[in-house]
Amino acid sequence: MTMSTSALNISLRELCECEQVSRQWLVTIVEHDIVSPVSVAGAVDDWVFETRSVQWVKRAIRLHQDLDLDWVAIAMILELQQQQEQLVLENRCLQQRLQRFLLED
Amino acid sequence: MEFKDYYQMLGVAPDAELKDIKIAYRKLARKYHPDMNPDPGAEASFKEVAEAWEVLKDPGRRAEYDELRRYGGRRDQQFEPPPGWESAAGAGFQQSGGDFSDFFNSIFGAGFRQQGPSGGHSRPGQDVEIELPLFLEETLESFSKPVEYRLSVVVQGQPQELKKSLKVTIPAGIGDGERIRVRGQGAPGPGDGPAGDLYLHVRLVPHPLFDVEGHNLLLTVPIAPWEAALGAKITVPTLTGKISLTVTPNSQSGQKLRIAGKGLASRAGRGDLYVVLKVVMPQESVGAVQELWQQLAEQAAFDPRAEWGR
Repeated sequence: MTMSTSALNISLRELCECEQVSRQWLVTIVEHDIVSPVSVAGAVDDWVFETRSVQWVKRAIRLHQDLDLDWVAIAMILELQQQQEQLVLENRCLQQRLQRFLLED
Repeated sequence: MEFKDYYQMLGVAPDAELKDIKIAYRKLARKYHPDMNPDPGAEASFKEVAEAWEVLKDPGRRAEYDELRRYGGRRDQQFEPPPGWESAAGAGFQQSGGDFSDFFNSIFGAGFRQQGPSGGHSRPGQDVEIELPLFLEETLESFSKPVEYRLSVVVQGQPQELKKSLKVTIPAGIGDGERIRVRGQGAPGPGDGPAGDLYLHVRLVPHPLFDVEGHNLLLTVPIAPWEAALGAKITVPTLTGKISLTVTPNSQSGQKLRIAGKGLASRAGRGDLYVVLKVVMPQESVGAVQELWQQLAEQAAFDPRAEWGR
């Protein structure tokens, strides 16, 4: 069985190469606060992102290309989607906790 | 193969103007876009709509399509392009990673395949994402976990499934919803393109005892009414062992006691364990016990709903 190296971060250069995104688009996506680098200090080329950001970058690009939406609209859509994901997760946790206090019928 | 009626897919008349086709496309694209519509069938519908738009938005491709539609465009008939058919409008067509139907490729594919300096089209392979269920205990320290998944690959034009097995290092402190990237273990890239990446989407398996709140754990501990009233020393489980705990007199149901450093691991150190007390009554009380409850009721002068009467 192959042993593979895993990572929780991805550099700007890798993100551009893997997702075939231009550096400018990535900067635009960051400017619209769709994703944020782990640290914005330092040069743009030194930016590093959490791997969980990759799905939001992909989604932003798909929405931009497929639906011709502007970045402000995309930022709003994705923020709402992130909030919704968070609420679903929170709701699941609270339901689980509630069950521990409720008796079965 | 079946003839695809792109006009019908977009719900427009065959003589519709481009601006009306665009409006119809945008409306349907928003409706079916897989990032906007979680329905499992939405992606297939979106691909159909996108394919229809890809053809009808370009006057050259639309003219060729209209010609073929007149030639044999009946949905109830099997369609084959006329002998010697070669698209002029297909050339220069840019595929943005979308995969189109056999019908589309039979009409416009030839021109697409011819483009590129070496005749091939090299780009990174698709990323693959799979869910990785982890037990809470598995997140406390880094460890190596075997992962199995399947890749869809094309071998000599035929789609095949490839079984992959890997060992992946799971870092300590990984949280629910996080993604671990395993470089180069996704789908192979077409042409000479590099392979995509594998993303492991971490899902923490619900624990029979512990609930998760960020990096803290919550443990609901049942206690007897007299333990709540008089206080008690009890033993409670942690993720890795047991711990002794003092319940103070007059404790309430829902009261939280914090045990520092016994939560989940995180990059900022271990979280805490919160013990939530739950006062539980015995299933039944008979004889002397029942009498004691009766004496308690008479002597305690406690009204838990006193607030309601104000």
